[in-house]
Amino acid sequence: MDRRKAIGGILAFTGISIASFTGYNFFYGTSNRGKLKNYKDLIAELVDVIIPPTDTPGAKEANVHDFIINFMESCSSNKEFNTFYNGLNDIQSTCLSDYNTVFQKCTNQQKIEVLKNLDTNQDSSSFFTKIDTKIRGRSFFNILKSLTIEGYCSSELGATELLSYVPVPGNYAAITAITPNQKAWATR
Amino acid sequence: MKNQTETNTFDAIVVGSGISGGWAAKELTEGGLKTLVLERGRNVEHLTDYITALKEPWEFPNRMHLTSKEIEERPVQSSHCNAGDMHFYVKDSEHPYIQEKPFKWIRGYQVGGRSLTWGRQSYRLSDLDFEANKKDGYGIDWPIRYDDLKEWYDYVEEYVGISGSSESIPHLPDGVFLPPIPLNAIEKHLKDSVSKHYTDRCIINGRVANLTDYKEGRGKCMYRNLCSRGCPFSGYFSSNSSTLLDAYNSGNVTLRENSIVKEVVYDEETKKAIGVTIIDAISKDEITYYAKIIFLNASAIATASILLNSVSKSFPNGLGNSSLQVGHNLMDHVVNEGTYGTFDGLLDKYYEGRSPGTIYIPRFQNLDSKTSNPNFIRGYGIQGKGEREHWDSKPTKGFGATLKAQLQKPGKWIISLGGRGEVLPYYENKISLDHQNLDQWGLPLVKVHFEYGENELAMIEHMTKSSEEILIKAGFKNVGSYRNSPPPGSAVHEMGTARMGNDPKTSVLNKYNQMHDVKNVFITDGSCMTSSACQNPSLTYMALTARACKFAIEQFKSNQL
Repeated sequence: MDRRKAIGGILAFTGISIASFTGYNFFYGTSNRGKLKNYKDLIAELVDVIIPPTDTPGAKEANVHDFIINFMESCSSNKEFNTFYNGLNDIQSTCLSDYNTVFQKCTNQQKIEVLKNLDTNQDSSSFFTKIDTKIRGRSFFNILKSLTIEGYCSSELGATELLSYVPVPGNYAAITAITPNQKAWATR
Repeated sequence: MKNQTETNTFDAIVVGSGISGGWAAKELTEGGLKTLVLERGRNVEHLTDYITALKEPWEFPNRMHLTSKEIEERPVQSSHCNAGDMHFYVKDSEHPYIQEKPFKWIRGYQVGGRSLTWGRQSYRLSDLDFEANKKDGYGIDWPIRYDDLKEWYDYVEEYVGISGSSESIPHLPDGVFLPPIPLNAIEKHLKDSVSKHYTDRCIINGRVANLTDYKEGRGKCMYRNLCSRGCPFSGYFSSNSSTLLDAYNSGNVTLRENSIVKEVVYDEETKKAIGVTIIDAISKDEITYYAKIIFLNASAIATASILLNSVSKSFPNGLGNSSLQVGHNLMDHVVNEGTYGTFDGLLDKYYEGRSPGTIYIPRFQNLDSKTSNPNFIRGYGIQGKGEREHWDSKPTKGFGATLKAQLQKPGKWIISLGGRGEVLPYYENKISLDHQNLDQWGLPLVKVHFEYGENELAMIEHMTKSSEEILIKAGFKNVGSYRNSPPPGSAVHEMGTARMGNDPKTSVLNKYNQMHDVKNVFITDGSCMTSSACQNPSLTYMALTARACKFAIEQFKSNQL
């Protein structure tokens, strides 16, 4: 994930912002955004491969696809929207040509294969990834993965089951010993 | 919070209900004066109008993101707010201003103003600050010294509730503190490292207006770290949670929201202000209210614009502006974008609860001959926070069950540091009015002209370099900084536009924040600041307000005003 974003969050508490983080290239056109809803089932299957059900719920059960559609419809730049929408189209054509069916109907193994081929940036913090992102914008996979993580970790199921969420801590224990199965906090 | 009277005449009028206006309202009403508080924005009732305060993260359809439309309506404010608190920030589209050079004017037009969303950092100024202008010749001398303000710092701190630690640092005086918010493992590590490697600087617990103990009528901080949404426990200080409630309980206050002050009305015969004319924000009707005392607490830029728009025969350049200083000497604090680093150790340590506090490195440059810096005068402090990387900052690899496992564990420790430096008072940095461009109420738009000088730019460079060095010496890895400073105004500490001074020829206010030219007008918001120091300024505004109110009440009761 983007460290700049994290720092922005950290500094926000003192009233200082990272201006260039929210002041970036927004292109406000929102025409055609509604068409993303047609891909709701596909997005639901995709997020469930990124964050599958294990001993805790998966991203589909946490309705992460709804968040992604909301975000893409009303918050994303035209550039990211197009990257994302075209990426969905590409996935479906790949699946049709390679497996003769849509992504939703592929086997688990096939779904994983498709996403593995897109996850070319194994190390998202690498120098080349950063340069590439700067020039071409975030890749489809990068957008999908980071929105899935965000949507899931801030969903009720993700925050309370995979992670640990305490709405009203009441106290601040500044230094605690980590426990063997310590879960990360969902919020900060 | 309303007990409107039929009459248009009061003992005192306070313009603005933010952090200093709230104090003026409390002090004047408790002093027995019938007081009208005018607020240009909507009402915000304590507790009941904190509409997002108890929302869970998943109740926001776009999480904390603003929509493109919301950003379009808030091109300036959007960098400072999120989906949880944007209703406490103005829409720039409704309240335009002109930036002759980039300057962020962050505003909260509502009862309580920006006291709802402030950073809550509270530090005293010292004589290092009050004597600075006199010593190096920038700006004019302050008409007061620390001794004049000390008891008033005590007074407001006792009421506000500042958590902090006593440190015996001469240039950052100790105050009346509640127990400090403790440092976590990485912050403590950094503190130990700094005291080991440096003799000139140290790390202290940030001093914040969050209650670590109960105050009458207010609860303790619950460590949710969602302050800017308004606190359902009254765990931090705001006008809404404190001063305005006391003003109301005095029985002497009338609060009128949606009241945009157009001008202060001046009477040529008595040589005094006799009232203010407002425009009702909704009906657009003009109404004049009368009072013997007027406190302007609209915030530095807005207060100056009211003065400049209050033109009379005696004051063709704006009320009380015989010095021609009104609107000039605009200052903010210069901030860098921040420095960060990761730490490989201490993985067996964590924390419970979400601290609203910070660590603070008090100013360590140009304190004396040993710490003098060849590249700039004055100095800066550094604020910071340490935490462990979580899902929103942790680098991850791949997807599937392995990704989930990575997300489930707390990541490395990270620390971020950000400097806040003193800005010198330059006459050229100013606000003025554009009478050709009017807002929807027919009032001239504010024009802001602001640029950093070489001193500020040298300071940015130094705060970034020293922040990096501090982290590297403490064993941090991946230490880096963002090289660009956010636009001026980003610190939301604008001040200096109606400065205090001894000489009416070069200043607007005297040592009691009283206008030299118009004795019954007092200004105790950021406008009054003769220099900016590098400390977060709200505490000083509050202390100056309480002090000025005592003086004004005495003058009122002995019929001097």
